[in-house]
Amino acid sequence: MGLLTLIVVLPLLGFVVNGLLGNRLGKGFVSAVGCGLPAIAFAAAVKCFLDLKGAGWAPIAETAYVWTMVGQDSFEIAFWFDRLTAVMALIVTGVGTLIHVYSTGYMHEDKSYARYFAYLNLFLFFMLLLVLGKSLLVLFVGWEGVGLASYLLIGFWFGDMEKAAAGKKAFIVNRIGDAGFLLGMFVIYSAVGTLDMPHINKAFTSGAAPAVSASLVGILLFIGATGKSAQIPLYVWLPDAMAGPTPVSALIHAATMVTAGVYLVARMSGIYLNAPEASTVIAAVGALTALMAATIALAQDDIKKVLAYSTVSQLGFMFVALGVGAYGVAVFHVYTHAFFKACLFLGAGSVIHAMSGEQDIKKMGGLAKKIPVTFFTFALATAAIAGIPPLSGFFSKDEILWYALASGRGGSWLLLGVMAFTALLTAFYMFRLLWLTFFGKPRMIKEVEHHIHESPPSMTGVLVILAILSAVGGFLSIPHFLEPLVALPAVRPGMDAFHYFVVGGSIAIALAGLVGAAYFFGGDAARAAKVKASFAGAYRVLNNKYYVDELYDRFINRPLLWVSEAVFLKLGDRLLIDGTLNGLASVAQRTAGRLSRVQTGSLHKYAFMVLVGMVASLVWMWRNG
Amino acid sequence: MTDFLAHLDTLLLWAFAGCAFVSAALMLVLRQPMRVAIALVSCMVFLGGVYGLLGLHFIAAFQVLIYVGAVMVFMVYAIMLLDPRDESGGEKFSKLLWPGIIGLSLLAEALAVGYWSDLPPAPRGAAGEPFDMIRFSQAFLSEYWLHFELTSVLLLAAVVAALAVIKENRRHDHG
Amino acid sequence: MDKVMMLQVLAASLFALGLTGVIIRRNVLVMLMCMELMLNGVNLSLATFAHTMGSAVGAVLVFLIFVVAAAEIAIAIPIVLLLVRRKRTLDIESYSDLKG
Repeated sequence: MGLLTLIVVLPLLGFVVNGLLGNRLGKGFVSAVGCGLPAIAFAAAVKCFLDLKGAGWAPIAETAYVWTMVGQDSFEIAFWFDRLTAVMALIVTGVGTLIHVYSTGYMHEDKSYARYFAYLNLFLFFMLLLVLGKSLLVLFVGWEGVGLASYLLIGFWFGDMEKAAAGKKAFIVNRIGDAGFLLGMFVIYSAVGTLDMPHINKAFTSGAAPAVSASLVGILLFIGATGKSAQIPLYVWLPDAMAGPTPVSALIHAATMVTAGVYLVARMSGIYLNAPEASTVIAAVGALTALMAATIALAQDDIKKVLAYSTVSQLGFMFVALGVGAYGVAVFHVYTHAFFKACLFLGAGSVIHAMSGEQDIKKMGGLAKKIPVTFFTFALATAAIAGIPPLSGFFSKDEILWYALASGRGGSWLLLGVMAFTALLTAFYMFRLLWLTFFGKPRMIKEVEHHIHESPPSMTGVLVILAILSAVGGFLSIPHFLEPLVALPAVRPGMDAFHYFVVGGSIAIALAGLVGAAYFFGGDAARAAKVKASFAGAYRVLNNKYYVDELYDRFINRPLLWVSEAVFLKLGDRLLIDGTLNGLASVAQRTAGRLSRVQTGSLHKYAFMVLVGMVASLVWMWRNG
Repeated sequence: MTDFLAHLDTLLLWAFAGCAFVSAALMLVLRQPMRVAIALVSCMVFLGGVYGLLGLHFIAAFQVLIYVGAVMVFMVYAIMLLDPRDESGGEKFSKLLWPGIIGLSLLAEALAVGYWSDLPPAPRGAAGEPFDMIRFSQAFLSEYWLHFELTSVLLLAAVVAALAVIKENRRHDHG
Repeated sequence: MDKVMMLQVLAASLFALGLTGVIIRRNVLVMLMCMELMLNGVNLSLATFAHTMGSAVGAVLVFLIFVVAAAEIAIAIPIVLLLVRRKRTLDIESYSDLKG
């Protein structure tokens, strides 16, 4: 078994062992398996990275199993390890391992401890399949698999109907996107004749383009990406996904799985380079999503909901980078975002842990002194996401803003304006969150306040590591590292002059957000309340998330329900199918009812029938014999 | 006199056959099961006579031994055991008396039509060759041993089944 | 009439009488005896053929039928015993529980 296969299989092993034996072998064993195997997978990923470096960055390919052969086309479970895979695999295994360790503290009291780790390992397996897969087919298996793991983990506490429903919502919304992804795969296969991603990219970038519109393929794949990466119009599942345990939100719904769409687009950059229309759509959707989610985040009071909308918004940033052709920059943001968003979510988990399960930031406040480690790491990550230099978020966001303006593949002042405004909102709502949670007077009830305690070292240790990474991660220039694989777009002529303007602007924006939040929430509570009162209507709209769920309910769910009920159920199912079946059954029943009268139970009649039959057969024999 | 003796075989055969037929017909009309049983026994004995006259002496012997001696004795026991318990005391014939009789006549007619129409005459193998006990025994135990064994298995099954039924009977009593 | 033909007619008559008896009589035991009569008819037919053709097959079959008849009666009588225990009657018309 090759090293790449090993990376993928290790978490699967963890899933099997924990899933089958976990409940019998105790929490210590489950923790050792659950954290140990991802850690080994991380080590293996590092080894692969070093091998890759040693081989002069020539991609490593490895075929684990030939699934089937159709004519000349073979479908195989093959893995592919190049610079992009390296970045993603290291993030997934690294952050994944950290979050597993954190979970040992966070989930310690849960009675389904083994099941939790089994699911988490399963998720890691599928995510690695997704990231390491050489062909779209393997990627798709991983893609569906992470959806499954996400469903299982969102609905982890399935005793609560609301949480179970959130799991279903995530799964179903993702299905819509997956339909697009599948169609994209079909189109690619019929046009190119293979699903191997290196081949597809080569086919689209070489002179003789395949006989299919790159934009069509691009849009179809992007529909899949909108589902998994929570973009308009399919983002609605992600905020609800916060029903899962907080480490899950950190791992799946912030650091790794939701970036799968970004990875897909970056991986298939060969197609998008030839699909300007699709790229424009991606940039527009990304910008809109970023703006919309950021505005919603302004008015949310649930600590995890704020972070969820912030995730949606940051994903929008990544898609803007993808849309303007700066694939490396998008992956850079995936990478920094993985650190600071994981840190934020885990910090939120630590806060919730300290607050005995309370998630409403209106009922928090003044936690800074009581849980100092959580506070410092959270503050650092907040500064990183807001874009305060020299933290990691500053670098990646600055790059995105710069290419939103300067990219020769669709950069514009309008895009920059939208993104800059969103960045301002980001800084503002993140510092608002920080202030309401950690500063000011405690607003919680006495009992909760009495119980506030710092989390165990397994949790705070992970927080510290992630905070350090989100602080210094930006110094590793991922776009530069990925440049041989996915080149950065050319800068529009005459734009070089604005580079320092953008850098300065983004610093100013971050600071403005900080100051604004400090002004409104740091001092007198009345200031925020006054603003809120004067924009009551807007606030209500934002607080209710633009009523998108209600709109979907009114215009999609209800008509669908109506159609299902009136047409499919009443007409199709009951009348047509049931009717036919019941009709046939009743005909059979009536016939049988008549025939069963033959079965009189009277032995005499049976014997008489024997006689009749005998006479008849004799007569027939004499006649024909 | 020799004439008479020469025809005695044939005469006896006809007489036995006629008596067997009459006994069989009586079975249908007698009311008491015991009388029916006696009619059947007599029919069987006459048939045994027929077999004897045909030279199938050992079949005749077994007819009397197995049928009359075992089966019918068993039947008579059953009648003695059950008949007093019969509280129906009802009709002798079923509702299908007339259809049965019509069926019988139709069957007879069909058979008669068969016999006397274009049915090929029964093949007569090595005619006149008397039935040979030795040949029969050899055939029975060499060619037909499988059938022999199968019937013995059937007998065994019957014994086991009878035991099971009686056991069920007992449980019923206690329950 | 030829004696063989006569015996075959007798065999057929015994069988037909037995079958008719099964149809028209109500008493379970009488019906059983009528079945024995049917078997006897068959036996006679086989024995006659054995005699006529000098073949062993007919005789073998007759023997097998003896055994089967014995087995049949060994099972049938206990079953009738049980039936009578249940309904205290030998009238077959009372036993129509398997009505469709």
